[in-house]
This record gives sequence, C-alpha cells and structure tokens, in this order.
Amino acid sequence: MDHLIQPGVHYLQGSQACAEGALMAGCSVYAGYPITPASEVMEHAALRFPQVGARFIQMEDEIASSSALLGASLAGAKAITATSSPGFSLMQEVISYAIMAEVPFVIVDVQRPGPGQGYITASQEDVMQARWGHHGEGSAISLAPSSVQEMFDMTIEAFHLAETWRTPVLLMTEETVAHMRERFTVPPRESLSLAKRKKPQDLGIQPDEYLPWGHGVVAPMAAWGDGYAFNCVGLTHHEDGNVTKYSTEMHHRCISRLKTKIEGHVDEIARLETFYLDDCEHVLICYGSVFRTAIEAVEEARKNKGLKVGLVRMVTLWPFAEEKLRRCIETTGTIFVPEMNYGMMLHPITAALRDRCERIVSIPELGRLHTPELILSSLSRELQ
Amino acid sequence: MKKHPMLKYLKESGPCGDRLPLIMCPGCGAGQILNFIFMAIESLITEKGYYKDNFVFISGVGCHARLTSHYLNFDSGWTIHGRTLAIATGALLANPELHLIVITGDGDTGAIGGNHFIHTCRRNLNLTIVCSNNKLYGMTGGQSSPTTLNGETTSTNPYGNFEADFDLCELAKTAGASHVARWTTAHPTQSIKSIVKGIEKPGTSFIEILSQCPTHFKRSPSEMLRDFKKQTVRLEKMDETTAGKIPIGEFQDIQKPDWMSSYQKVVHSAQNKTIQD
Repeated sequence: MDHLIQPGVHYLQGSQACAEGALMAGCSVYAGYPITPASEVMEHAALRFPQVGARFIQMEDEIASSSALLGASLAGAKAITATSSPGFSLMQEVISYAIMAEVPFVIVDVQRPGPGQGYITASQEDVMQARWGHHGEGSAISLAPSSVQEMFDMTIEAFHLAETWRTPVLLMTEETVAHMRERFTVPPRESLSLAKRKKPQDLGIQPDEYLPWGHGVVAPMAAWGDGYAFNCVGLTHHEDGNVTKYSTEMHHRCISRLKTKIEGHVDEIARLETFYLDDCEHVLICYGSVFRTAIEAVEEARKNKGLKVGLVRMVTLWPFAEEKLRRCIETTGTIFVPEMNYGMMLHPITAALRDRCERIVSIPELGRLHTPELILSSLSRELQ
Repeated sequence: MKKHPMLKYLKESGPCGDRLPLIMCPGCGAGQILNFIFMAIESLITEKGYYKDNFVFISGVGCHARLTSHYLNFDSGWTIHGRTLAIATGALLANPELHLIVITGDGDTGAIGGNHFIHTCRRNLNLTIVCSNNKLYGMTGGQSSPTTLNGETTSTNPYGNFEADFDLCELAKTAGASHVARWTTAHPTQSIKSIVKGIEKPGTSFIEILSQCPTHFKRSPSEMLRDFKKQTVRLEKMDETTAGKIPIGEFQDIQKPDWMSSYQKVVHSAQNKTIQD
C-alpha cells in the first residue's frame, strides 16, 4: 500500500494513469502482450506492479494474457490487461467465456484504426466489437474515458463495476487519450467507491448449498482455494454448474439471467453527461476523446454562431443507455454524432431517438481526432 | 455395495440434481487417469500434509476435459480449448499457494494450446500438467491430432496420416520444464508416482499418459493396453534394437527456480528503488 500513487496532483500519460488506477483499485495481477499504441500501459505496469507487490507477467500473446485474467479472477484477484484493436480481436474468445461464467476483470482497448493491422493512430472503430465481437448472447460493460483524469478514475470505476456485476468490463479508450499527458488529481484512497465481489462465505452459504450462478441477480463468487469446490463451467449450466439434462428451457434460463443482470440494470450501470440541454434546439452526442473537441465546438457554435446546440456525452457505451437518452432528449431538431469511425454508435442512437428528432447527421473522422473546426463546420453547414 | 475409495473426490449430485455417471465411453482411459491423479493427491494429503482445498483442476475442451467439469469435488475450471495453461498461469499469479493440476489432451497441448505449452515450460511455472494422449480428437469424432501416428487412419485422414507426429515430452524438456515423464494407462503405479513427484516438484511438471480410445480406434481396450506394454520401452533401455518403440519413463528431472521464486526477487529489487512519477 505504501507504494501506491500518493494523493494530490500528478502529471502523467493516460496509459500510466490507467496502470496507477488499476493498482489503486486493488488490482494484483497484470498479464499483457505488447502492442502499439497500448504498450505504455504495460510498460508502466511492469515498472509499478512489482513495487506494490502485485504480479506482472508478459504472456506469449493476447489470447494468453486475457486467459490469465480469467484464471487470476477465478483465484480471487482483480486482474487487468491492455491491448489495441488486433489484440482485442484475439481476446473475444475469453470475453465470451467470461460473460457466460460471469468472471470479473478489466480489459483496456486502446483502439487503433482497422481493419487488419490498419494503423497505430486514434480510432473508435472497436465500439461495436465491444458489444457484438464475442460469439453468443450476453454482454460486457464498456466505458469511454476522455481525459487522463478519467483514465485513472474510470479504470477504478471499471473494477468497481466488474466486481459489483461479476462481469468483464472493457475500457474502450483511444490512442488520443492513452498518449495524452495532463495534470490529474489522485483522491485519497478512502474516498473511492471500491466494490469487492460478494463471497458465499460472507453470506453464510455453505459449500453443499452453494450456487455459483444463483442466489439472486448477481451470484456470490467463491475463489479457488476457499474450500467451496467451485466448478467453473462455460457450457450452458444450471445454477449450481450442473450441465446435464440440457434443454432449450435450461438454455433460456441461463442466458436470460445474463441479460437481466446487465441490460436489466442499465439505469444503475450506465452514465451520461449532459451540457446545455435546457435551451437547445439541436443535440450533439459523442463519447471518448471526441468529447474534448466536441464540447469546444458546441461552445463556439453557441457563442459565436448563435446555434443553440446541446451535448450529450455517453460515458458508458454498453449497456446502451437508451431510456436515459430518451429521458434527456424529448424533442429536438438535428442530432449530430461525431465518431472516429464511419458511424457505429450512430446505429443504436438512431434506433433510440429517431422519433425524437428531425434528422440524424453523422460526422465521421478516421485515424485522427476531429478538430473543433471539423465539427463546427458540420454544424454550420447543416444548420444555417 | 462398497463404494470406490476415490468417489469422495467426485460430486455424485448437487443442488440441481445428479451429476454422475461420467460420460466416458466404456473402456476409455480417461477414468483411469483421473483415478491416478486422485491416488496421487490422496497420498499427498494423507502422507505429506497437503491441503485438499488448495488443489485446483483446470481443463480445456475434449474428452479428458470432461474429467474437470462438474463432477469434481475440488475447485476446478472447465475452460477454453487450448487456453488451460494460460488460465492456470493467471490463477497461480493470483494465489501461489494453489496446486494447479492441468488436465490436457494431445489437442489441447500439442495443437491449439501449443504456444501456451511451450511458454509455460519455458517460464517453469509451478504447476502439474497431466496430458491424456489418446492420439486423436475423441469428443469431436476421431479426427487426427498432432500426435496421431504416421500412417494411422482417422476421420480427417481417411487415406492415412502422412504428417509426422509430435513428441510432447521432448518438446516439454527442450522448452525447460523441471520434470517430464511419459507412461501409459498400462502403467498405473509408475503414473501415480510420477504425478506425486510432479506435484511436489517446484516448477512445471509434464506427465504424458498414453491412453486408449477403443471407440474411435475400434479396438478392444484390453488389447490396446497389452499393446501399450509391447510398444513401449524404458528410456534407459533404448538402443538400436528398440527402434520404432515408444520411450517411457522420466525424460527430465532437474532443480531450477520456478517463475514465482524468480519473480519474488524482482519484487524485492523493485521495492528498494524509488517510485518514479
């Protein structure tokens, strides 16, 4: 504990703040594989995890690093890895298993443009993969930080959510924020929200009555070594992990439980931030580092162009906060969606708000962050 | 009826109903291998003071993996095809007190998980791998694996396997595992002794046990076991007269630091340097 980053003001790269946030959250295992532009998270972890007495390992590939998170979490630890888009593709198998078996851990995806090796600059091209990349139903939670402060804070929040909901959490960040250097403030550790997974022994549940996938919406999770003979399975299972007597009804029960856990609790899980919505005639919806230039463009449009534009920032990408969006946008003119892709979150946004607006305009950018001018020129062109 | 002495290590039922019988075909070697592992663990618990709750079984996908499914009265992970050793690595990092028993097959070890196998041995992580090598993919219907012998006919080599087969023990030895041995299901005593030794040994232990698949090779199990005796020869007795035979015995047994003991030194030196900001 003595070796944790001290409370106060620091000046670090987003990647480094992420690794510091993980340690602050009580993460004790980092398993990774280098990839540009995510390697700085791993390099900082290599430096810092041993200092704190936590464990760091460089695995043989991204499949192995994500698999190690699975094992670490099942043995009771909080675990993290960071990768970039091609590596994120390789981790989908483990994400799928972890959703099914309800194993919490955190994966950071410093997104780079694709497909293929693409390039190593900024991108938001994996936001759909975060929701739909793994095989099968079920979903993880995805967050989109926009500053170095948030790389620290939201890594902690990612662990909080993972432990609360017993699920993998994906920190969907971008090269922009990962390589950005900014001042950020470390709060005292006592002030942080840091959930720890419920254990059956804490709830008075005996090993012979333990249901690793039962006892309520979020099941208590015994760690390997706790004496609960916890058989973790990835097959469709009954609440106790029994996989015999398969039926489609059994499969429905198993999967609807996963859906209820995440999609049934969107209001508790997902966060939005709103700006200038009170008097706005049009709305811009964004996430991640695009928020940084979008807010500047919106303020400029209001101040110097007389355009009454409001802004909604999706802090949580998945589960998608459809009802929250509908509550904050009842009726509006044009909705603008700037994204570092050809329009991905545009689809769920359109499905949620097509009856609440006159039209929806995508503002795409590839391989680099939108400039405020790019967003501003789109607003001016479409609204004047 | 008197119950099998190892039945205490299985879950016959649970809150949601019966779990037994095991799904293995009659005459399969997987049950024997599980029994060998239980006998080894039993002796470590009763004679050496090992703690049952610290044993964790991990498997991937395949017939052998079913041994680590919901039947075990131990902590276990029935996980992803090929990823067992990477998962075990994470568990070991989280809790070095655990005794990880990784049950793999020839596909899990030699094909889809080959890379993890090499690097686990190279790192010399403190875990025990028991590889049930039946020389084909049983669960999916008898397809070829990397250990299928040249000339053997399988459902994916209907004209006979024309590729070379993999020697997993030589691979483990070269990659750096502390302890490497090969036996067959016709060598129960030797297998159990090797598993005990493997669990006690710091670092990676790889114990390959050749196992019979009567279903897909369409042969009688007893005949296959007799063949294991005939086809194998002790490693130290290998010479020009034993060409073509399968060497069995201890391939490697060395003392060297395991990953965690080396890592502890890193922690020590890191903690004696100032924090960089």
